Amino acid sequence: MFDLLKQACEAARRAGCEFADARYLDIRRQRITSRDHALSSCSDSDDRGFGVRVLYRGAWGFASSPGGDAAEITRIVELAIRIARVSALAARPGGVRWAAENPLSMEFHSPCELDPFAVGLEDKAGLLLSANEVMLRNDSIKRALGFLHFKRVRRWYVNTDGSELHSDVTTSEAVLSAIAVDASDFQQRNWQAPASSRGFESFSTAEFERQAERIADEAEQKLTAKLAPEGEFDIVTDGENLSLTIHESVGHATELDRVLGYEVSMAGSSFVSRDKLGEFRYASDAVTLVADNTLDGGLATQGFDDDGVPGQCWDIVTDGIFRGYSTGREFAHFVGEERSRGCCRADHWSSIPIVRIPNLYLQPGKRPLDPDELLADIRHGLYFEGMDSFSIDQWRLNFQFGGNAVWEIRNGKKAGMVKAALYQSQTPVFWNACDAVCDQHHWSPHGVTNCGKGDPMQITQMTHGAAPARFRGIRICRGRD
Amino acid sequence: MERQQAEDLIAGILEMPHPGELQVAIHGVNRLGTRFNDCAISQNALRDQVTLTLSGRLEQKKTSLTTNNLGDRDAIRAAIEQLFATCEHLPDDEESMPAPGERPDCPEHAFSETGEALEIETVGAWVSKACAAGKQAGIDLAGLLSVGQMYFAYGDSNGGFAFERSHRCDFHVTASGARGSGWAEHQGVTIDRPQIVAATERAIDKCLRAQNPVVFEPRPTTVVLEPQAVGDLLSSAFWYGFDQRAADEGRSAFANFDRRLGRLSLYSDPAEPLAPANSITADGQALGRCLWLDRGELQQLRTSRFWAERKRLAPKHTPNNLILEGRGVPLEELIAGTEDGVLVTRFWYIRSTDASTLGFTGMTRDGTYRIENGQLTAPLVDMRWNESALRVLENVVDSGRPVATGSFPAMAMPALKVEDFHFSSLSGR
Repeated sequence: MFDLLKQACEAARRAGCEFADARYLDIRRQRITSRDHALSSCSDSDDRGFGVRVLYRGAWGFASSPGGDAAEITRIVELAIRIARVSALAARPGGVRWAAENPLSMEFHSPCELDPFAVGLEDKAGLLLSANEVMLRNDSIKRALGFLHFKRVRRWYVNTDGSELHSDVTTSEAVLSAIAVDASDFQQRNWQAPASSRGFESFSTAEFERQAERIADEAEQKLTAKLAPEGEFDIVTDGENLSLTIHESVGHATELDRVLGYEVSMAGSSFVSRDKLGEFRYASDAVTLVADNTLDGGLATQGFDDDGVPGQCWDIVTDGIFRGYSTGREFAHFVGEERSRGCCRADHWSSIPIVRIPNLYLQPGKRPLDPDELLADIRHGLYFEGMDSFSIDQWRLNFQFGGNAVWEIRNGKKAGMVKAALYQSQTPVFWNACDAVCDQHHWSPHGVTNCGKGDPMQITQMTHGAAPARFRGIRICRGRD
Repeated sequence: MERQQAEDLIAGILEMPHPGELQVAIHGVNRLGTRFNDCAISQNALRDQVTLTLSGRLEQKKTSLTTNNLGDRDAIRAAIEQLFATCEHLPDDEESMPAPGERPDCPEHAFSETGEALEIETVGAWVSKACAAGKQAGIDLAGLLSVGQMYFAYGDSNGGFAFERSHRCDFHVTASGARGSGWAEHQGVTIDRPQIVAATERAIDKCLRAQNPVVFEPRPTTVVLEPQAVGDLLSSAFWYGFDQRAADEGRSAFANFDRRLGRLSLYSDPAEPLAPANSITADGQALGRCLWLDRGELQQLRTSRFWAERKRLAPKHTPNNLILEGRGVPLEELIAGTEDGVLVTRFWYIRSTDASTLGFTGMTRDGTYRIENGQLTAPLVDMRWNESALRVLENVVDSGRPVATGSFPAMAMPALKVEDFHFSSLSGR
């Protein structure tokens, strides 16, 4: 495969391209869904092809094809150059300043002890159906749903720098949902297994059944829960809930292409303008947010990005101060950096790489602190668990998030469950209201597997993580009258 | 791929040994996407893909496999063997339905002979001229011009076959100044330069009128929603709520539903000239006109074949377009007739907050203006809203003429004047 890709880069170089890269992807997926006592779908897919990106006279061109022989490579290179010539009709003044990168040779394999594609369908069906059985034992549960998704992406990458890179990444994802219905209401409670770049060893029947029983019980509780109070309250978020808030209010906000306006027509821009770098108090000093594309099992840990830059680890926020963006080779110079942070990824062989959120997590608190202690001095507040309704403006400022299960906190302890609770804030206000984060023993990773960005939309994945954290004086509103 | 090629390919696959029912679907897409920002082309890509999906059904067990390796007959034969081998390991699913075996007419409402003619250079020239217009106005322009040709072919071992081609053009542009932005689009089967110029001019005009926004203290108020804002909200409502089974099982806002949702009619029709769409389903069944709301009265909800059989109803397939009728009042008159309100160009990041009331939240974006005494008096800082889509329909007091809007995959929506719309907080900018 490398030979064909090298042929593409060599042809582009001979044609006068300043830079070119070629990627071949072999993508295999399996999706299995269960509904009550049956598997409602079982689908496999395989998808192979290559894309060639050229920088020609300061303008980009990209073309792709499912074919992979020498003649098709030549045709696609020529097509990419033709497209770049068209792009040059409205080129950016000064062209593209492409950050230098040393030639790299790398072979990356994600950890995978048990290949999910080698596991029998009976085992996968059994995992989901036994969990559904457990949920349906609860009389309030009228629908039990399960979802498994396995993906293996083998990637070969070559560029005109001389890099030759190969990765082989397997990811496994599972979700269970219990839907409770009574005469006056219906409520859904979900459990998402921590999606990770690992194999089937991530999953166990015992864990699925344990979670199934828990979410069925909590879905039933949600039916009769009272409506959440409205007003200003101290809140505590669990790691999963906060992972989505990190994703939306920090991850997207600090993508440099977005800050520079490259996404303004679709996903939007960002309030985190370049003058804030190194100065801006994004959060309280309890908050350090780390980007880490080397995180073991992280969904964005793929060895190298689609600019040919190896995965790295850096701070986005250190002790509350904004310290760094997620960048690609086209954008690093805009913040005076010589090297890309290695965040450019494409979701398919026919997609152009764009800056994506890395694995990004809230560092656990330095002093010992458990969730009970975190709640202890809250007289009246709310505890948010799991991901639910989420929405944020195009500047990544005004947001509103729900929780999949929310409890009232009374006199330092979790009291009864409430429903329809939403917390609404502005990004820096919210993060500056954080006064404590639990220690590392309570930190957990959570995957986001449906992150959309780009136009046309590209869907990709990354891991976030957090320990339960406390935020003071947050506005609570309700999604239901 | 032409119809005869597709028919031959599918016939050849259906001749391969298959111990149960076999369904074959082929999707082809050839799409050029030219993306720009800051009045310069930032991405320019051609996507050319064909996928083959094989679905096997053995008694009540069903599975599917998708590949883009269409040229290898041995691989396809092996895939069919694997499909049915997999079926044997599956538990029965009583909801699995047989292949329909229909041969519907495919009138290709969303296909245009002239759509084939667009070249990369033509698209690039149009975008570069739009960018030049932005530079001349001193406004940053960002957006996408996407031009695509698609086809879909379907066949099954019960004798079914369908083939349909379509085109789709999408041009949308955001114009940004230092303190505000405007947005406009053109959606259609085909596109030409005058349409791009007109949309660009609308976006620039909105942007110029959006500078230096002022705060409108969020509260329930009268809004005039432009067509895209209406489409943003109604498409979310349709996906989340309009399902017969969920209603019958008490999992929907439409469970035991007896309210009248205003006075407007909502329907789907692939032949609708404002939003032409594919006329067949993913399993080769004809999609006709379907009335969802008749002058506000709920007529029917999406109903799968399984649920229709169980409940002895007619199946109502998921449509490929949505059209909301309106009274045809020009936008200017909707504004002129509003004493105190807000004009909304479009919404952003709509998410469900409560399925039992079809409650949603979202933000305004790219052109939000104060209306006072029938006049636009000031641009406004964007706002979050929390509102029920059902209540929005109930609170419509006047409406415009439907026009093509983006997504769903195809929509035509009118502007709506809606009372008591719940804004809840301000954007930070």
